[in-house]
Amino acid sequence: MRFTKKEEEMLDGKYGAAVQKSIELLVAVGECYSAERFVEVGSAHLSCANPVSAGKGGTRFIKEMAEKGGKFAVPTTTNPASLDPWTWREMGFSERLYREQLSVSNAIAEMGGFVCNTCTPYLIGHVPRVRENISWSESSAVIYANSVLGSRTNREGAPSALAAGLTGRTPAYGYHLAENRHGKLKIIVNGTLLKGATDYATLGYFGGKIAQDRVPIFTGIPQSVSLHELKYLGAALATSGTVGLFHVVGVTPEAPTEGIASGHKKIGSSDTFEFTLKELKETEESISKIGPEEIDLVILGCPHASIEQIKEYIEVLSERRVKDKVEIWILVSNMIKKYAENIGYAKRIESTGAKLVSDTCPSPMPGGFFKSRGYRAVATDSPKMAYYASTTQDVPCHYGSLDKFVDVVTKRI
Amino acid sequence: MTEIILKGHKVAKGKAQGEALVSKSPISFLGGVNSDTGIIVEQGHELEGMSVADKILIFPIGKGSTGGSYKIYELACNNKAPRAIINLRADPVVAVGAIMGSIPMMDKPEQDPFEIIKTGDFVEVDADQGIVRARSKSS
Repeated sequence: MRFTKKEEEMLDGKYGAAVQKSIELLVAVGECYSAERFVEVGSAHLSCANPVSAGKGGTRFIKEMAEKGGKFAVPTTTNPASLDPWTWREMGFSERLYREQLSVSNAIAEMGGFVCNTCTPYLIGHVPRVRENISWSESSAVIYANSVLGSRTNREGAPSALAAGLTGRTPAYGYHLAENRHGKLKIIVNGTLLKGATDYATLGYFGGKIAQDRVPIFTGIPQSVSLHELKYLGAALATSGTVGLFHVVGVTPEAPTEGIASGHKKIGSSDTFEFTLKELKETEESISKIGPEEIDLVILGCPHASIEQIKEYIEVLSERRVKDKVEIWILVSNMIKKYAENIGYAKRIESTGAKLVSDTCPSPMPGGFFKSRGYRAVATDSPKMAYYASTTQDVPCHYGSLDKFVDVVTKRI
Repeated sequence: MTEIILKGHKVAKGKAQGEALVSKSPISFLGGVNSDTGIIVEQGHELEGMSVADKILIFPIGKGSTGGSYKIYELACNNKAPRAIINLRADPVVAVGAIMGSIPMMDKPEQDPFEIIKTGDFVEVDADQGIVRARSKSS
């Protein structure tokens, strides 16, 4: 790799031990991918910013970087915490976990990080520009930034995103280079079938299996598609596949036309797929492992819900009351929760018996937490939640949009 | 005693020496190695039950989730890490973990290390110079 003078100085330790360790780590990553140079990044987003996902090693590394005097060179935000730091006691988390979370969050704050505990930093003001190089971890945020915002990031792991935040650099390879951003396969969608975010997520789950790590191009999606529908589409693509970027012709910034999205390369019939009612039904059934009758916990908002989604949930839940022995969580960032409180949405949610749970999600919660609290079966409107709740909390999941199973989990008042 | 010199490419700086532990199959540090003991726990792995601690660990490439980097670092914190790592080709998960844990690491050896180095051989790694010296136990 070639280095600028400043990068040489970072390697020589002129900017301190934390920057030196970080840039060494990024050089190693760059050499693995044959990068020739670094690019400057505008921001970083850190996954594993909690004691459970980071484990003992990650927790120690984050603290060590803070102790060595590391300071973020660019705005750096954090992914969900292991608990809701506002309501952890009533939710049944231990004081010990709260302290552990606090020590990780404090170390990140000491380095100048914005501790926001959300997988949707782009909903609370962390919005990179078109073509801006960034270094984000959290697969659903990566795919949103690349595809919907037109920013450029690879699917970073937690340590490399931390190192990029501390140095303001990332190796130039993968999605940072325009030639790697073209679509390689095409999915022709019957857009009239897609009624809400969950249908878009089903499409994403279907697409991710086919695309694996390639960039898919979607055609047939209406221009009226909402940002949270695109968010659900991307999160699901990154769940069933390792997709980091997608294009929607006529909708996303790098796809004004199919030709531009594919880099004017012809996509052959073996790389062209259709998404019709048959694929929608089959995919939805394959994600859903149980019927809605067994549910004792409903989890909505994966990735964390936007204010428009909260409004949609209010509409479905209005004049209803959550049944005894059932809980409904709507996962949000704390800023969106405050927003919902300010405009009266939080009260309306509470009046149904549902809860806005902020700053967390089941994946960074301690394994076995659900079972210890008696949650044995989950329903969700997101395939990503269905995957992570079942793998990290070992509970079976029902999958579908809330309006389809609302009668099972609530009663009319 | 014959000494064989192998040239390669530095991934993580430093020097180390010790006994070789050779695996012809990839290793996953997340789930595959117990970070408290250093013992390889992946079922059916050719080194299952052996410890990577204080060894010169030679394997083709890492596999598995990015969480593996933090696990290699955890091994180092627990003094159960290998003294050095030699891969045919470094993958970012292992490379990042080695840098984090200050474990000397090399890749792209000019000759096939599996032909030259056997488990138990004495190996010196000088990642800074890109040189590995191996002395066969049997000869």
